[in-house]
Amino acid sequence: MLRKIVFSVNGSRVVFAGNPLTRLIDVLRDELKLTGVKEGCGEGECGACSIIKDGKLVTSCIIPVGACEGSEIYTIEGIRDTEKGKCLVDAFRDGGAVQCGFCIPGMVMAAYALLSANPNPDENAIRMAISGNICRCTGYDLIVDSIRLAAERGGDLWQ
Amino acid sequence: MPINCIDDRVVRVDAEAKARGEAMYASDYSFPDMLYARMIRSDIPRGTIDSISVPQLPEGYYFISAKDIPEGGKNELWMIAKDWRCFADGDVRYVGETIGLLVGPDRNMLDYLASNVRISYTEQEPAVTIDDALALKGGPIVGEDNVLCSLFCEKGEKMQGIMDRADSVFTETIETGFQEHVHLETNGAVITMEDGKYVIYISAQCPFYVRKSVAGLLGLQPEDIIIRQTTTGGAFGGKEHFPDVLAGPLLVAESVIQKPIKLIFTREEDMLYSVKRHPSKTIFRTALDKEGNILGIDGTIYYNCGAYLSASYVVLQRGVFHANGVYDFPATYLKGVGVATNTFPSDAFRGFGAPQTLFAIETHLDHIARKFGFDPAEYKARYFIKKGGETVTNGHIVEEVKLPEMMKKIADASDYFRKSKEYAIGSGKGIGMSFYNHGGAFTGNGEQAIIKAHARLVKSGNRVRIEVGSTEMGQGFQTALRKIVANALKIDMEQVDYDNPDTSLVPDSGPTAASRSTMIVGKIAEDCALEMKERWNEGDFSVEKEYQHPDGHPWDQSTFRGDAYLGYGWGAACVEVEVDKLTNEVRTTGIWTCHEIGHAIDELIVHGQVNGGVIQSLGYASMEKMENRNGHFRQSSMSDYVIPTSMDFPRQEWFLEDNPYQWGPQGAKGMGELVFNGADAAYVDAVERALGITVTKIPIPPEDIEEALENA
Amino acid sequence: MAVNYVPETLEEALLLRKAEKAVPLAGGTDIMVQHRRAQGTAPNPGFPVMVISGLKELKGIRKLEDGSVEIMALATAAEIASSDIVPWHVRKAASGMGAIALRNTATIGGNIGNASPKGDLPQPLILLDAEVVLASFDGERRMLLDDFILGSKKTALADDEIIKSVIIPPHDFTYMFYRKIGMRKANAISKLSLSAACSVKDGIISDFRASSGAAGPKVIRSREAESMIIRRPVDELADIVPDFLDAWDHAISPHAMPKYRRHTTARMLTYFLEAIVNGAEPGVIGEEEK
Repeated sequence: MLRKIVFSVNGSRVVFAGNPLTRLIDVLRDELKLTGVKEGCGEGECGACSIIKDGKLVTSCIIPVGACEGSEIYTIEGIRDTEKGKCLVDAFRDGGAVQCGFCIPGMVMAAYALLSANPNPDENAIRMAISGNICRCTGYDLIVDSIRLAAERGGDLWQ
Repeated sequence: MPINCIDDRVVRVDAEAKARGEAMYASDYSFPDMLYARMIRSDIPRGTIDSISVPQLPEGYYFISAKDIPEGGKNELWMIAKDWRCFADGDVRYVGETIGLLVGPDRNMLDYLASNVRISYTEQEPAVTIDDALALKGGPIVGEDNVLCSLFCEKGEKMQGIMDRADSVFTETIETGFQEHVHLETNGAVITMEDGKYVIYISAQCPFYVRKSVAGLLGLQPEDIIIRQTTTGGAFGGKEHFPDVLAGPLLVAESVIQKPIKLIFTREEDMLYSVKRHPSKTIFRTALDKEGNILGIDGTIYYNCGAYLSASYVVLQRGVFHANGVYDFPATYLKGVGVATNTFPSDAFRGFGAPQTLFAIETHLDHIARKFGFDPAEYKARYFIKKGGETVTNGHIVEEVKLPEMMKKIADASDYFRKSKEYAIGSGKGIGMSFYNHGGAFTGNGEQAIIKAHARLVKSGNRVRIEVGSTEMGQGFQTALRKIVANALKIDMEQVDYDNPDTSLVPDSGPTAASRSTMIVGKIAEDCALEMKERWNEGDFSVEKEYQHPDGHPWDQSTFRGDAYLGYGWGAACVEVEVDKLTNEVRTTGIWTCHEIGHAIDELIVHGQVNGGVIQSLGYASMEKMENRNGHFRQSSMSDYVIPTSMDFPRQEWFLEDNPYQWGPQGAKGMGELVFNGADAAYVDAVERALGITVTKIPIPPEDIEEALENA
Repeated sequence: MAVNYVPETLEEALLLRKAEKAVPLAGGTDIMVQHRRAQGTAPNPGFPVMVISGLKELKGIRKLEDGSVEIMALATAAEIASSDIVPWHVRKAASGMGAIALRNTATIGGNIGNASPKGDLPQPLILLDAEVVLASFDGERRMLLDDFILGSKKTALADDEIIKSVIIPPHDFTYMFYRKIGMRKANAISKLSLSAACSVKDGIISDFRASSGAAGPKVIRSREAESMIIRRPVDELADIVPDFLDAWDHAISPHAMPKYRRHTTARMLTYFLEAIVNGAEPGVIGEEEK
């Protein structure tokens, strides 16, 4: 009766057999030790646990693993050493986007999803794209600037 | 590349690891055989505990409570006072008071057990609001009058005479609500034993506070416990004393179980069962002459402290000392009263009591100005305090006050005076301006008399390690302090190390609070570095220094007279809004600020602090509503207690006014709290003007604007 | 703890629904949130759940021959917001649901099945007389969404049924209005919402409707109030407005912040009706804000 759920995380195959309502974030953090995925609210409201699932930004704290059959999932650990990921991390660092840092891995994922879809976003598009990622420290201006910086530095990378 | 100039902007040392998801927060730690803990709490605000029934515990599960405190230990958390109990025992005084800790290996089992713990109470009527407390609802919680703490300070002529000869007395009550910190990382800690010692990994601002607070539970000395600060995902005061409330029960549990135990709050727990900003009620009676000039202000300030004192007395003092704003009125009589209620204890939150009274005085002055037909900003500027001016505590301002220059900067940038004239009252458009300050470091002679901070630098080869107890919680101190030290030593920042503190390895530098880290600890470290530079060729050695109090700051803590602070940061904010008259939704269209923080250590860090502090303040004024009904907080999640998103406020224009501070490192003063202290009042001023309403209470979401419109 | 399932086909899901009464979970943005527990523990709703997120039969948005639009139950808010065949009111509401990550997850089936009075999609769908298609192992039935949602968190879904799709009949409005007031500018639950639509032909109001969200236990439409306006000449509209507003005010029943919700609803309706009275350019009324 218990169906195995097969999906990939950061390019590696994962087979899950257990309660399909298990939260994806718990699989990522506890079983796969991908602790860059942060839990801020547990209700899909703050964006700290944002990941990319089948090319789309989602919050892993409210995704049941049963909804992941056949999915390709990327976390911060899966993108941080790619060209795009490095471009974002460098821009966040250089642009002063990081304070306490707890929202930042999720914020990087949101920026990744944005620039992958829109390589040259204006300020409003950036603000829209991160409106599900709550930051209590920065007031967002330097995060917005850093994403703009990543778009400019990355250039063709995002095309 | 060595830093040749403190003004070179640097890259934050912690940014890359955090952005890559590699930084280790408390919840990221795990140890072999680690157990998990679940807090069992009071679910009534006031009453006696008749019985606690815990379901049959499977092997390897524990229920830890007051009974587990060993002989020689005391059931108290030593914060500033020792009144806050580690475990409720016999009675409960607020919803969420810790009763016990369930510990075991499986979180599903803990969840099951937790939901089957049955506690029966004999309930008593709770006092929840300031008015409840003053009316002694349900009988006094403390003493005979529910007053936990109080003070007053007096400047100039006696109030009675002033009131008698005043042309009019304008009386107004201004209130502020609870505010929740919502640090993105919830509270959490892991306790373990290493080499026979208790070691606590904890998300905290003040590791030395934690060990002092909890050691007595087991009859130990603070040195017997090691606190290791984990990367801290925001704090804002919420992790100043509150981590003790996690560490205490964990320590008692560890003494029984002797295995690693992890306690991480869910967001719901962090919302419902953690400290908040003190709600306040300030009653001003202002004596005015015919032209609207202020003759004197009599203020009574009430803070809702919750069930235990915690830091409330100090918070209240700061509230009182800031209740005259940035002004020099001829006479003031300011009285502060902290009342006990059956709510979760209120505690530190960025600004530490100053934001409530600063909001009150700014808003009160705006109302007086409009009543007499003056532009509020111009009216307030008449009273700006100057160097040498007398403070409410009969001390004097020792620094140049640059408020006129700061006001000009933001007035020019925002085109304030044109807009202030052009936007008619009630036109839907409004602009407002506020002024504020924040006294740096501990009140009065606290740094010298109580804290006695130490800092140490250790040289090995060509590397220098900073050893201080100060913590990075997002504010940028690890970068700022490295920069100060590297600059003094004229070496590369890369050669300077500074790790999250471990209390067994570093000296106590005092708490990371009160905007004191750069100003006080930074200065001690800089002095160490200057000595180290002189002796650079001596090989490997260390330099440790204690805080030196600058001369000429008289203070009497028993009468609250003298220089309450060593120096102040100063701020001016201008906010412009448009209100949708269909829905009362407020759109902020411009934010301009200018701050004077001495000399900035790093402008990029300061930029981030300004932006973040201002948005927190605007959230406080506009949307952050935390209600308490019958002792229970009503907002329990990030969807019902909302804080600003990236879409809520526009890009900020910000300025600094350079005014190097003679006793700070590189001329720096504190700034972390200052930037929270004033945008709220500018916002409310703007909204009032846009709609022609009078606001005496924040937050002011659209539904409360509706009420104000009805009363207009 | 109840057993939870992941059916691979609609048929299997319908069987599970019938045999085990398993409750369908589409995106998870309601069930996973409402029944959340601590870190490291799966939500435990106390009833069997089947995760149907992967069912291809329930995906997509298409135009039917009669001009209606069928939105399958698993269409996400993001897909609805970006579809040019979906009517304007519904796209507007979908684009204002939560933030991007939520819109990539939340589905129309879940949003109407959850039947929260604050839900974003039922309000414009009820305005448009949308119907819901309910599938069970034994067959299908269709009903008006307005009849399907019975009250706060209550629907007419039988315990062997699954929401299969929503069908929106075609409309051609002269004037349209939509507003959602959230607790903040983005990523917010609705505090109040209103849709309105009006068709004017030869100076006569041929169709008029409005729907209020978060102003009562369910989305509120008042045919009685609407009928006061329908078939009346635009010239006479100004005189009808006060009585209409009064009737609408009687129809809604906001529990919390009643004054704000009532007054704001009245102001928005007045604004929309005044635009019609004043012969505004056909199209969306009040879209000056972004």
